[in-house]
Amino acid sequence: MPALSGSLTGSRTARLALMAGVILALVIFPFFASDYLLDVAFFFGIYVLLGLSLNIVLGEVGLYDLGHAGFYAIGAYTTAVLNTRFGIPVLILLPVSALAAGLFAYLVTSPIIHLRGDYLCIVTIGMGEIVRLALINNPLGLTGGPNGVYGIDSPTLGFLALDSSTGYYVLIWVVVALSILALYRLQRSRIGRAWNCIREDEIAAQATGIDVRAYKLLAFVLGAALAGVAGNLYAVKLMVVSPESFTFWESCLMFSIVLIGGMGSVPGVIIGAAAISLFPEIFRSFASYRLVVFGVVMILMMMFRPGGAWPRRRGGTEAQDLIRRLGRSRG
Amino acid sequence: MKRFLALAGALFLVCALAGFAADNKPPVLIGLQGPITGAWAYEGQMAKQSAEIAAALINQKGGILGGRQVQIIVEDDAGQPQTGALAATKLASQKGLAASVSSYGSSITEPASNIYEKKRIVNIAYGATAVALTERGLKYFFRTCSRDDSQAKFFADYVPKKLGAHRIAIMHDNTAFGKGLAENTRDALKPLMDAGTVQIVYYDAITPGEKDFHVPLTKMRETKPDLWYYTGYYAEAALLVTQAREIGITCPFVGGNAAINAEFVKIAGLQVAKGCYMTNEPLPADLPTPEAQEFLNAYKAKFGDIPSSPWPVYAADAVNIIAYAVDKTGSTDGKVLADYLRDKVNGVPGITGKIGFTDKGDREGVPMFLYVVDDQGNIVISR
Amino acid sequence: MRVFLEQLANGLTIGSFYGLIALGYSMVYGVLKLINFAHGDFFTLGSYLGYTMLVLGAGFVTTHLGLWGGLAVVVIVAALCLALVGVVVERVAYRPIYPAGRLPAVVSALGASIILQNLIMIIWGPRYQAYPAALIPNFPIHIGGMNLTGLQILILCVSFALMAILYFVIQKTTWGAAIRATALDRDTASLMGINFNKVIRFIFTLGPALGALTGVMVGMYYRQISFTMGWNYGLKAFTATILGGIGNLPGAMFGGLILGVLEMLGSAYVSTAWKDVFVFLILILVLIFRPNGLFGEKIAEKV
Repeated sequence: MPALSGSLTGSRTARLALMAGVILALVIFPFFASDYLLDVAFFFGIYVLLGLSLNIVLGEVGLYDLGHAGFYAIGAYTTAVLNTRFGIPVLILLPVSALAAGLFAYLVTSPIIHLRGDYLCIVTIGMGEIVRLALINNPLGLTGGPNGVYGIDSPTLGFLALDSSTGYYVLIWVVVALSILALYRLQRSRIGRAWNCIREDEIAAQATGIDVRAYKLLAFVLGAALAGVAGNLYAVKLMVVSPESFTFWESCLMFSIVLIGGMGSVPGVIIGAAAISLFPEIFRSFASYRLVVFGVVMILMMMFRPGGAWPRRRGGTEAQDLIRRLGRSRG
Repeated sequence: MKRFLALAGALFLVCALAGFAADNKPPVLIGLQGPITGAWAYEGQMAKQSAEIAAALINQKGGILGGRQVQIIVEDDAGQPQTGALAATKLASQKGLAASVSSYGSSITEPASNIYEKKRIVNIAYGATAVALTERGLKYFFRTCSRDDSQAKFFADYVPKKLGAHRIAIMHDNTAFGKGLAENTRDALKPLMDAGTVQIVYYDAITPGEKDFHVPLTKMRETKPDLWYYTGYYAEAALLVTQAREIGITCPFVGGNAAINAEFVKIAGLQVAKGCYMTNEPLPADLPTPEAQEFLNAYKAKFGDIPSSPWPVYAADAVNIIAYAVDKTGSTDGKVLADYLRDKVNGVPGITGKIGFTDKGDREGVPMFLYVVDDQGNIVISR
Repeated sequence: MRVFLEQLANGLTIGSFYGLIALGYSMVYGVLKLINFAHGDFFTLGSYLGYTMLVLGAGFVTTHLGLWGGLAVVVIVAALCLALVGVVVERVAYRPIYPAGRLPAVVSALGASIILQNLIMIIWGPRYQAYPAALIPNFPIHIGGMNLTGLQILILCVSFALMAILYFVIQKTTWGAAIRATALDRDTASLMGINFNKVIRFIFTLGPALGALTGVMVGMYYRQISFTMGWNYGLKAFTATILGGIGNLPGAMFGGLILGVLEMLGSAYVSTAWKDVFVFLILILVLIFRPNGLFGEKIAEKV
């Protein structure tokens, strides 16, 4: 059972209890929530996936990526186009979209992966914008232009149609749970440690023999693939995709999720996603002032908890875990 | 025993009160989904105001279904598809909702209408003109506004001939509406192009939100058009025409129905605006119907001026036709209303003219006119 | 050729706006490494303040000072107001975040931008506003068959003059040296006696003031303003800064000009619809071959 790092709860039992409580809440939620609440929970799940995907690039490796919406878009449009033109079932398209987004990331970041900090940042912004603008301009009649692609099917698992609000809710949160498990394993693996090493001091990492370029590319590819998964689920839920959902602003929101939650921290990302996706819904009644309040909250968060709502505790548990495991293997 | 009697008495009183309250006629709820915040906030807010005026007028006359008031429930979709989906779900879950007036923007209306369809709730769009919306076989989706292809057809059939133009420049803004209208216009011009009477010398898109169009305009100027059709919105249109005249483009400017309004005239200035044309459904100010007069007077009395764009008025018409259908069928059930709207509503007087819907849910019978800005800055029908 | 020159003038006009905004942006960025998302909104606020002054004070100002005097007053007041706003925003939203590092500051800047943009919308309304045409002097000019306007020439002259003055200030004066030194190496600069807080105050008054001035010019030139216009200009400013090279202040100005001309080339000779794709592709190509920007110095990294 992966241990939850975090400074909010102390003992291991407390953390396990928290996790059990969260899982329990997630399971019983559909039984008394309205469709509206289930849909809100669905989009919350989407933002969790997006936050987790950017977290790989930004949180683990420390690469400034402000164009992540581009990968999200590639995933969504891959699903949309392949489903509407060739009738391929949408659930099969989930790994396909992940693959497409990952491949795209590999192709476009390879030439620029060596750029430092903010130079990388502006290039990612540029790439995100290029994707969006290309989608609007409808090259080869593939993307439907500003209207987007509509008529995407609902997911079916054999004879079980998942197209109710509850169905989508279950689908997204199962995917989120699997992603979290995979990410925790990654964090604890050699890859995760290499990433963190690169984040802390790239030159030292290179000096110790880590292939910095390959690991950075891997981060982008995996991050893009997960964003592609989110894109697929988004397309399936809305049944239509259009370029407006994939703007620079979306990339900024994802960036904020990782920062507000805590870089490299999975529970942090969940909290950050909650803040970003639930906030506008909760504060609908504020109308025009809603966004002003949102901006104020962002500033206050950075002022009082710049490490994030649930920062990743580094060097503590993982180091001890590692030592314990090494000790065991020595046997 | 005494306690039992007291309890029974209290219970009886509660039931009586409840019965009395129920007898007090709950309002008929009509949803209004629109961009109250975000980039299209000015449209959404006007649509909200229009819907509220329409409801107020109905209530002043005694309401519907024997005295029940019409109440508008507003949900903001911020001009974003996913916020729109959430807004639609929220409205659809609203108990007792008769129907929804939704929405502005084809790419927001699309996912929203899918949700309403699943929940079997009639939804009427007031600002979504993409042809594709009514080609999906939906049973609960309608629109009181027209489609891009009818405006395009009007342009192709009437405008080049009237203005004696052979070289046509088409410019759009890559939005769902602007590009849709441009593409439909290009298609509608095909027969003329095949016959050789018309040539499209320029076809490109500017980026909305930007201000400087000198470069594309200079490019357009060099293609020597004798007619220029811009299918985007008034903000860019005003800038485009001003800058075009500055750099020596003299051909007539024709806007689509979102390009010219009082704001356009104000921003471009009278000198530049006069003589500009526009393809449009009848403007509210030109509608001879008594419904239009009544609505515009009420709107002006409360908000100081009439709506500055056509779409909010369609929202008011949508509210009115829903109320009409509820009244006539005596029901707020979605299927009943949908069938009634599709089959039985024909030539019902509305603010924007007679209201009827085709089998696909499109608005029937909205005539088109060529408008022009006259020397006083008024937008009048070009004779 | 004539057309090309005309287009070049167009590109340079846009580019000069980008350059001026980029300069204000680059000062903050170079010294603090802060991506100041709110800079575009300083520009917007300046434009709106100019609008309000012209609309409200039209009669008063022009009768007492004449048309040009009135416009000058508007520009100066807008710049002063924004200088104040800049200092306040820095104090409230940025200063408390500096110890936390770069990335939290980015989020804070994003928050500041959201707040400013929506406050502008709430105060002035979501509809587009227009600078009164009657108060903006303009007339067409035909030079060698090219169609230009008097206002365009004026804006070009004023912008270039401003850029020249700022270039002089940055490269030749002590203040400029202080900013450049702090941008290069903050700690050594303070060891050399440069007061960091003073530098911050300076860049957060000059930067937003420049933004306001550009905002008024943009308002005068295009006559139409909206509360979202800062976002786009802010992004272009960031692009110009990177194109020119981080920490290189004149580089940001030239980056802006180059950006304007690139946009013009893409729009006129490729396709207006794909213009931004063209520009970003060029930017990426430039950075692949010159990873420190066009004018960025190659700074050896400490190991």
